[in-house]
This record gives sequence, C-alpha cells and structure tokens, in this order.
Amino acid sequence: MSRYNRRRATNVIVLTLSLAATGLGLLVLFLILGSLLANGVPALRIDLFTQATPAPGNQGGLANAIYGSVVMTAVATLIGTPIGILSGTYLAEYGRGTALAPAVRFINDILLSAPSIVIGLFIYQVMVVRMGHFSAWAGSIALAILVIPVVVRTSEDMLNLVPAGLREAAFALGTPQWKVVVMVTYRAAIQGMMTGVMLAVARIAGETAPLLFTALNNQFASTDMDAPMANLPVVIFQFAMSPYADWQRLAWGGALLITFTILVLNIFARMLASWSGATK
Amino acid sequence: MVEAVAVSTTNSRRGERQRLEDAIFRGATRFFAIVVLLLLAAIMVSLFIGAMPAFHAFGFAFLWDQSWNPVKDLFGGAPAIYGTLITSVIAMLIGVPVALGVAIFLTELCPPLLRRPIGVLIELLAAIPSIIYGIWGLFILAPFLQETVQPFLHDTLGNIPLFGVLFSGPPLGLGVLTAGFILAVMVLPFIAAVTRDVFLTVPAILRESAYGVGCTTSEVVRDIVLPYTRVGIVGGVMLGLGRALGETMAVTFVIGNAHKISLSLLAPGTTISATLANEFTEAVGGLYTSALIELGFILFVITFLVLAAAKLLLLRLDQRAAK
Amino acid sequence: MTIEVAPVQTPTRPSPVSAPTITPARTAERGVPQTKVVIKDLRFYYKNFEALKGINLELYDRRVTAFIGPSGCGKSTLLRILNRIYALYPGQRASGQVLVDGHDILSPGQDLNLLRARIGMVFQKPTPFPMSIYDNIAFGIRLYERLSAQDLDVRVEQALRRAALWDEVKDKLKQSGLSLSGGQQQRLCIARAIAVKPEILLLDEPCSALDPLSTQRVEELIAELKSDYCIVIVTHNMQQAARSSDYTAFMYLGAMVEFDETESIFTHPRERQTEDYITGRFG
Repeated sequence: MSRYNRRRATNVIVLTLSLAATGLGLLVLFLILGSLLANGVPALRIDLFTQATPAPGNQGGLANAIYGSVVMTAVATLIGTPIGILSGTYLAEYGRGTALAPAVRFINDILLSAPSIVIGLFIYQVMVVRMGHFSAWAGSIALAILVIPVVVRTSEDMLNLVPAGLREAAFALGTPQWKVVVMVTYRAAIQGMMTGVMLAVARIAGETAPLLFTALNNQFASTDMDAPMANLPVVIFQFAMSPYADWQRLAWGGALLITFTILVLNIFARMLASWSGATK
Repeated sequence: MVEAVAVSTTNSRRGERQRLEDAIFRGATRFFAIVVLLLLAAIMVSLFIGAMPAFHAFGFAFLWDQSWNPVKDLFGGAPAIYGTLITSVIAMLIGVPVALGVAIFLTELCPPLLRRPIGVLIELLAAIPSIIYGIWGLFILAPFLQETVQPFLHDTLGNIPLFGVLFSGPPLGLGVLTAGFILAVMVLPFIAAVTRDVFLTVPAILRESAYGVGCTTSEVVRDIVLPYTRVGIVGGVMLGLGRALGETMAVTFVIGNAHKISLSLLAPGTTISATLANEFTEAVGGLYTSALIELGFILFVITFLVLAAAKLLLLRLDQRAAK
Repeated sequence: MTIEVAPVQTPTRPSPVSAPTITPARTAERGVPQTKVVIKDLRFYYKNFEALKGINLELYDRRVTAFIGPSGCGKSTLLRILNRIYALYPGQRASGQVLVDGHDILSPGQDLNLLRARIGMVFQKPTPFPMSIYDNIAFGIRLYERLSAQDLDVRVEQALRRAALWDEVKDKLKQSGLSLSGGQQQRLCIARAIAVKPEILLLDEPCSALDPLSTQRVEELIAELKSDYCIVIVTHNMQQAARSSDYTAFMYLGAMVEFDETESIFTHPRERQTEDYITGRFG
C-alpha cells in the first residue's frame, strides 16, 4: 500500500473509532435511561407517593423516603448556599492579590471532587458520635458540605463575568463597596448564581454515601430531624441489594424518580444559563 | 445638593458608618472563605484521630496485610486498597481512550449543528448519580457480562500463558472487571468534557497550517492537537482518576464484596469505599470502626494527592496560556 | 413644587472640518469664570511607569473643559484622578495636589465615597444597572438622601427630563434599564449621574460607542448642562472638542502640552505639537 493510502486508511480508522466511542457513550446513556423507564414505570403508582416503606412482602411506597430526601436536600441547600456565595464573593471581589484567595480556590476544587463517603465519615465522627445517634441534621450537614464547593465555584465564576465597568459606575456614584457587591454585582450575576445552586441540588439529590452513616435510614415515617430519616438513595441501596422482588421494584421506582428530578434540574439550569447569557 | 460637607474628612459620621459596614461584609466573606480551608483540615484531622487506634494496633503493616477478621479484630487494608487502585486503573484504561475518542469526534468530525446536543447528552452521563449506575450495573450490566463478554474473555485471553491468569476463574458477572467498566463509564463524560474544552484552546492557525500542508485529520490530532494540549489532558485524566478512586455506590453494587486479592479480574474483590459502605454501620467494637476509618483516611490521602497534582498541572497550563 | 424643564438649545452647526473652524466662543457672554479645580504638579504611576508627568491645570465652574490627545496620552488617566476611581485598583498611585474648592482630594484622609457622590462620571460604554429605569436613577439618590416616595418620583423625573430622556421612557419606568437602545442607555447614565446633583461632571468619551444621531443628542445635552456644572470631557474626536468645549487641554505622552480657551487652541495654537495634532499630522 502506498504511503498516502496508508495515511488515508489510518485517518479513516481513527475517525471511525472516535465515532464509535461517541456512539458507545450515547448507547450507554440510552441503555441506562431505557432500563430506568422499563423497570421504574411499573412502580409508579400513587402509593409510591403516599405510603411509607414496607416490610418485605407487604404493600407500600416511598413516601417517607421522598420526604426525607426533599427535606434534607432543602436544609443542605439552605445551609450551604449562603456559605458558598459569601466565599465565592470573597474570591471574586475581595481576594485579588491576597495569598488566601488562591489557597481557597485550590482547596475548594479538591473538596469538589473529594470522595463523598469520606465526608460522611467526617460528619459521623463530629456529629453522630458526639450526639450519640444518627440524625437528619447530620445527613443535612454532610450534604451541605457537598453543596458548598459547587456554589463557591459557580458564584466566583459568575461574579467574575460581571463587567468591571458596571462596578466602576456604581463606585463613581459614591456607593460603598459592600453595596456595590450586594446591590449591583449580585443583581447582575443572580441568574448565573441560581444556576450554580440548581447544579448543587442536582448533585446532592442522588448522593448516597454521605447519608449512609449520618442520616442512616428509617423504616417508618418520621419528621424528626433529630432522628434517623429515610431517604431515597439509601432506601434504593437497601432494597436493590435485597432478594425481595417487591423491594427491588420499589428501588427501580425510586431510581427513576431521582434520575428524572436530576435531569430536569440539569436541563433547567442549562436553559437558565443560556437565557441569562443571551440577555447580556 | 449633596451635603456639601466640603471635601469630607474621616470625621464624617456617615463615612465612618460606611467603613464599618464595609469591614463587616468583607470580614464575613473572608470568614467563610477560611471556613472552606478549615473544612478540609477538619476532615483530615478527624479521620486521623479516628484512625489512631488502628494505627497503633497495626502500624504500617496495615497497608499490605490481607486479613480481615472482625471476630478476632485482625484487619488489613491490602484487599481494599488493591481493589481501589485496580478498578481505577481499569477505569482509566478503558475510559480515557473512549473519552479521547469522544472529544476528537466532537471537535473534528461532528457536524456543527449536532455538536451542542451531543455534548449535552454526554454531560448528562455525568449527572446520573452513582447509585443509578449501581443498580443498572447489578441488574443489567453484570448479567450481560456474565453471559457474553466474560466467558469470551475467559476462553480467549484466558488461554494466553501468564497474561491469561487475569481472566481465569468462573465468570460471575460481579467482580473487579465489571466495577472497572462502570467506573469507566462514569469518568468518561468528565474526561471527555475537559479534553474537549482543552482541544478547543488550540489556536485555529496551528490547525489550519497543518491542514494546509496536507495532513489528514488524524494526523492533525496526533501531531498538533495532542502535543499542544498534553498537559491539559493529563490534568483532566488525573481529575477523573481522583473521582474514580472515591466512587462508592456504583462499585459497591457490582464488585462482589470479597476481602481478597485475586489475580483474576473476573473475581470479586472490594474497594475502600465499598468496604465502608457495606460494613461501617455494622462495625461493632472500637478497633473494627477504627480500622475502617483508617481505610477512609488512606482513601482521602490518595485522592487528595492525585487531585492536588492534577490541579497544580492545570494551574501551570493556565499560567502558560496567560502568557 | 414646579418642575423645571429646561429647553434644549441647538448650538450652531460648524461646517465639516478638515482644517478645523470653530464656533464662536460662548464664554465671553457668561461672566468671569470661577475656578473649581486646581491641579498642581500631578504625577501618576501605574506600578513603576510614570503615566502623568507633572500636570498643572485649572478647571472652571459652569464651563466645559475638553482633554484631547492621541491614544495613550493620559487624558482618561487624568480624568479618573478627579474622582479617584483609580483607587479601586492596586498598584496605581498619584502624587501632587488636586484642589477642589480649595481642599486637596488626594490627601489620605479623603473619604472616597463622599467625594464620588459630589463628582459624577459617565463612561465610554453605557453601563445601566440591572434594574428598572426608575431604580437606576433612584439608586444614587437613595444612597445619601432620605426622600419620600413622592419627592423621589419628582427627582427621578427631573433627572430624566434634564437628560432629554423623559418623554421616551415615562411610560416604561419599571422596565429594565437594559431594554433601552445604546443612545438611550447613555442618556440614562447621564441622568443617573446628574440625579444626585453633583458639582462636577466627568465624561469619559461618552459618545464613542454611540451612533451619530445619539452623539448629537448627547452633545446638545452637554451644552444644556453646562449652565449648572463644571464639566470635563475626554474625547478623541477633535471636532467634538471644538464644538462642545470652552477650554481645551492638549496632552501628549503623559504631559500637558497646551491648555487654553478652545477658540485659541484651534485657531492659533502656541505649541508646534498642538498644531500638528490638530491639523492631523499625527495621532
């Protein structure tokens, strides 16, 4: 084969492989979504939302788990978001030239990718052991620790996108710096920051590991934040690994719920991001 | 007219109040920024303290000891550590080439209209939580592998002398290889996204001049794009590795949970995070718990080192690009 | 309370300029100019680079002073010292004296926010805040004054009328400031600046991002506002300086080359460099 033909053949092979790689990725995505739908939809009955988790062999639903996940996700977001936004504000508005800012950025990015089970261990040590019992508070705090790095990152990025001219215009009116940040810069970046919060919520909505030894699980419906609380991921874990068919079915149903919520949040966040980008 | 308090001095009350408000707000932001640092330190310290009893009881031998006997309080971290490393290596070996392929496709081959939608779809893979991969792996992938791929590997590659031991033993579906596959799929979108972003930083003029002398697309990628983006790709791969090391739920479902080091990839094993997920809540007795925490500490240290190295590499890349 | 509505004057149009011809100076009929700002031996440094070399200058109240010169001559730098907006960035410092009504604003004890509340600035690129048109104007007022809702409404309307924007926006005050056209946004920024009743107005190339029609309206506005403020305008458009200003300062490479009444600068400049720039030999 001539040299040129060999090169052409290599090219075709490489490009075909890249196409195959992409096809493989997309195939897996559709396989997963497909099996979620196939196995989860049959479990989507009204009792999924109204009844608590049952003992094996009995009828039931996931109501207490859904409640627990919603509550703990909400509490975690409420705790983690202000901390994240303020830290991100420091990095974007006050940290220039300091040694603290690059250090925080570095550590924050490591926390972002840190194993979430280790976070669970940490909260176990400092909260569960100290309090003497598992609790929804512990679970919420563990999730909050996962929220913080995401919000710090997106807040800083969004605040940095606000043009310097806007800040200068506010300063030129005699605005004190904190008002420039809060009343002008935040306002300009608000959509982007909300996107960041949505992404953080999408991230923690499916997290299991940090809840395993903090909120644990609860067979019964409980609203007590000071006690173990049922949540979707841990329930799915328990039910899926079990040998009972009805438990497994519920697990698929829960999996479908979580995935659907997360995908919607992701798409929403994307739409919000591109929409706010368009108005600038 | 604004209070023509002449060209004001610091004595102005309003000025003082503004300065105070500014100081409070700035202080608050700095405080929470420091909280981020303290968080990492606190995690390290609390894990270290929790692992102390195990440090004392087992010393460095913990790292290569294979025993795991809760009844006799004899623990060794080797199977878990080995499993963590080997599944991650498999994940990288499979995931990185595929991710590169996806990135090449998206930047060189894909029609512009499809670029965004396909990119979004690949990123959705990253959004799917670990536990979903876990149950998919347990109920769908593992049986599939058990029926088809694993027997195939066993019968073909398993017969090669020496190398074949990697594929010996009965195909169970669950095991180290399956866990590696799932991890590969999980890190794929992440590495693909980073690689694609890094590919896009190659100046058009470099590409164009290569095409101009008659290079094929694959040659442009091999000779221009990849060398230019080498550092960024390595950084992205290491970030992916950092994530793979810490993955819990997906691995726990499919790895088979056996505290053993086997040479065969088809055999079950365990990882640090899978061990923790399975055993922590049932760990009775201080030393058992402490041994598990020591495993967690080791995992945290390994991931920290990998992620820190990745970040340093990427920082250097940013600095170079800024010039 | 009556709302003052100042009629908009139309200045005489100069003929297209190749060698510049100047509109008659209007300074003569408005009395002796009062000094508002005295700049003494002002130097400015970006890190170690001396961007302004010993500037000496006087700015007069109720007059328009234009800073002209080629790119990089320091005219914007000089402007930005007057409200010390440069202080936002580390590594930039000034030495010398800038006396506003006799007080040196470069002194360390100077409160920057209060200073900037007295000196308004309009930037090259229109920068409306991401809020309603009403709130854009009210923002500055609310910072330092406590007004009833009614009084605030009156002030907002006053400012918008003065900026020749009221008629165009009076029905959509609640809409976002970003929904206006470029020229309207710039007039919004001007309205925002004058709403707080500053003593000095700094305009940094206010028309360079605008189309000719909007430019004309803004220039008309400046002629209008002159009767109440000390106005300093930086422009790279010589014809604009010739049309709009009473005094002109020509700068080159960080130094003040010549400062005089606009008519003099453009008809018989004293320095060779000034003449070269004005006749287009460089710049």
